[in-house]
Amino acid sequence: MATAGIRLEGVTKRFRDAARGEVTAVREVTLTVEPGQFLTLLGPSGCGKSTTLRMIAGFEAPSAGRIWIGDTDVTDRLASQRDIGFVFQSYALFPHLSVFENVVYGLRVRRWPEAEIARAAGEVLALVGLAGYERRVPSQLSGGEQQRVALARAIVIRPKVLLFDEPLSNLDATLRVRMRGEIRELQQRLAITTVYVTHDQEEAMAIADRIAVMERGDLVQLGTAEDLYGRPATPFVAEFVGRLNRVPARVCGREAGALVVDVHGQRLRAEGAVLEGAVMLAVRPETIDLLPAASQHDSAVVASRVFLGEKVEYVVRWHELSLLVIAWDPIRRGTHVPGDRVDVRLPERGARILGPA
Amino acid sequence: MGRDPALAATLLVLWALLALFVVYPLGALLVKVFAGAGGRPSLEHVTAIFGEAPQRRAFYNSLLLAGLVGVAGTGLGFVFAFAAVRANLPRAWSRLLDAATILPLISPPFTTAIAMIFSFGPRGLITYHLLGLRDVSAYGLGPTLLAETLTYFPIAYLTLKGILAGIDPNVEDMAFSLGATRRRVFRTVTLPLTIPGLANAFLLLFAASLADFATPLILAGNGFPVLPTQAYLQITGLFDFTGGAVLSFALLLPAFAVYLLQRAWVARRVYVTVTGKAGPATTIKSLAPWARWPLLAACLGVSALILYFYALLVYASLVRAFGADATPTLAHYANVFTSGRQAIADTLIIAAVGTPLGALYGVVVGWLLARVPFTGRWLLETVSMINYALPGTIVGIAYLLAFNDPPLALAGGATLIVAAYVFRYSPTGIRATVALLHQIDPSIEEASRGLGAGSVTTFRRVTLPLVLPAFVAGLTVVFIRSMTAISATIFLISVSWTLITVRILENMTELSLGAAAAFSVLVVAIVFAALGMVALVLRRVRAPGTALASVLGG
Repeated sequence: MATAGIRLEGVTKRFRDAARGEVTAVREVTLTVEPGQFLTLLGPSGCGKSTTLRMIAGFEAPSAGRIWIGDTDVTDRLASQRDIGFVFQSYALFPHLSVFENVVYGLRVRRWPEAEIARAAGEVLALVGLAGYERRVPSQLSGGEQQRVALARAIVIRPKVLLFDEPLSNLDATLRVRMRGEIRELQQRLAITTVYVTHDQEEAMAIADRIAVMERGDLVQLGTAEDLYGRPATPFVAEFVGRLNRVPARVCGREAGALVVDVHGQRLRAEGAVLEGAVMLAVRPETIDLLPAASQHDSAVVASRVFLGEKVEYVVRWHELSLLVIAWDPIRRGTHVPGDRVDVRLPERGARILGPA
Repeated sequence: MGRDPALAATLLVLWALLALFVVYPLGALLVKVFAGAGGRPSLEHVTAIFGEAPQRRAFYNSLLLAGLVGVAGTGLGFVFAFAAVRANLPRAWSRLLDAATILPLISPPFTTAIAMIFSFGPRGLITYHLLGLRDVSAYGLGPTLLAETLTYFPIAYLTLKGILAGIDPNVEDMAFSLGATRRRVFRTVTLPLTIPGLANAFLLLFAASLADFATPLILAGNGFPVLPTQAYLQITGLFDFTGGAVLSFALLLPAFAVYLLQRAWVARRVYVTVTGKAGPATTIKSLAPWARWPLLAACLGVSALILYFYALLVYASLVRAFGADATPTLAHYANVFTSGRQAIADTLIIAAVGTPLGALYGVVVGWLLARVPFTGRWLLETVSMINYALPGTIVGIAYLLAFNDPPLALAGGATLIVAAYVFRYSPTGIRATVALLHQIDPSIEEASRGLGAGSVTTFRRVTLPLVLPAFVAGLTVVFIRSMTAISATIFLISVSWTLITVRILENMTELSLGAAAAFSVLVVAIVFAALGMVALVLRRVRAPGTALASVLGG
């Protein structure tokens, strides 16, 4: 199996919509996926991530731009000539064919000898944990089993790239977490270049080497999970990946490449856009500490509390702000209850400047 | 449920009506066919009738015609459905296809046949005027086949459109991504998934053609006798009731076989492919760009032919004598509204009485079948479907035999015609009600009972409003068929009660083509007006599930 990288250059998709006229679903997306790498396309529904994936697959034709798989420009090739494996959210199993015939469909198209087909099918079904399911039909399988068949069918042809379109959205939460681990492990073992579309940021972070965040047709940031969470390029990324508090602040100086800002007397070093005057900070909820109130003045009040076992989520009222605060290990560290007066301690570093206030 | 007196009374009335208007007439027919001399069971009538070569030929001809119409209509319906669902048609195009296919569905079944005479007959527009042909025959297997195919293929179109649209586009995309060519995807995915629909469409068309009486009466001619027309001629021409009964009984066997096949085989093989998010409509599709144009051309051609036939009908109704004198005139319409006045009034009265009765009957029976456990439910369902499954000729002859003599001498009266329509065309409403109720949580009705309402109050206050769309569907079908049907009721008319459709046939046989055309245009106009009103009502009650097309398809 020769896996191959994927390259998109200025890929744009426009289509006519009866209600809205001409719509640009994807706007000049340029990105590279290295051979063997796992990339997720992340974004809210309607951001163009699925359309981008379908253009890589050849189900949609780009209005502009080029797409390469390996060294081949596949822009004008049909899906059937691109050597891809695709997994749909709806599984898209052939309902009239058995599990075995579903899995070997691509091999029959490729005219493999019958003995090879049987061997490959046995191997791949064992790989996805469905040995012995050959004779069943899709309607007899659970959602998780159907998705495993879809996966087996996509990888058995040894495609150059694997493409997933929200493959786990129809499964329940527990199965979703387990399947994403299995997909990741399989991808690592087979070392196939993979593009995976999801709207679930946790899933994206758990499964991918790199994440491409899309917003309204634009690719807004491409990076590792740490990049996106720690150094979001735009307010949209900051809010879409993880949770945050928007905190107004005032720039009062520069220090070692970062800006120093003031929030109600607390001095913080913040990164991001270089601005002056009033700015809006992004502060992650788990970076805020709550301390027992030292004095009445400048203290905050706990408005609500949700105990979740490994953590507690508080909403704290502080200077007209409602801050979301996450505190870990509540059993050993103790918790506050609504009505408690606390001191809010913002992080000395790690806050991001989103833009002018 | 035995403790509920209203329910018991309802069941009693229903069984009494079904016994009277379904079981008893069918029994009377069977007695006529199988009772020999002295009342003993015997096959003597059957062997006597089918000892005659022309009658045997009529049997083979009927099967041959039905088989050919089934194949041709299913093929044409598939082409239309494929174009509608898979060719990324602009909206105007799909409108055109829908318009061209709805016309035959709502017209009297012989409208196409009449237009064919106008077009290809001895003084036909194309054969006589355009081509100058003098010795052509518009009669026989070919013309009948063409007319019936054009009349009935919309049923196949609607069936197959639903099936094709129900295939998750992702399934086809998946096959492409695995390297399959368009041809292979069509052969290994699209076609296998459509086969249950194709089989169903074939059986529907086979049954429709087998039962069609008016088209062969106009077009088949002496050289190509078929069973329904032979049965009709046996009774009206020779007053041989036994012979007519035997000939119509011969229709029953293939009709019943088709019905059983449909229930046992086709119904279990419908694949549901959409499980999650159905894929978006893609631009690169199962249809190659070069194949799009011939496909569209074929659809356009057939649509144009249908529209041409209807235009011809309108034209013929507005000229003095079609093919001879093209002077514009309204004389035919004047004639329709004077000498045809009784037929119009009778038809409308019968429709006005039968339509609400039929719709109510459909909803009540549908509700009983879907919701109320009672003994004999299966039997009720089966018996209520019998007249629907039987060709109209059988129903008509059975009614004639059963109700011709005292004590139940209802023949010739309006009651019998209304009963024929109600029990023959309400099963669509029954099925619509059952389908709708299966989608509505029974706990809604249980809540009403929990609040102390009895079964009648619950039905009236809760169930009836919920099944309103099915009620409207029942109304629509019974009304349209009351305006357009002929095969059963032609045996039931009399001097005091007649029907527009019968008048059209009489005009055709008397060669009053202008009047026949004017009557046909009138029927189509009435039905269109009624459908427009129904569409408005449906929009009001916001029942998008009850698309008109799905109502007419049944």
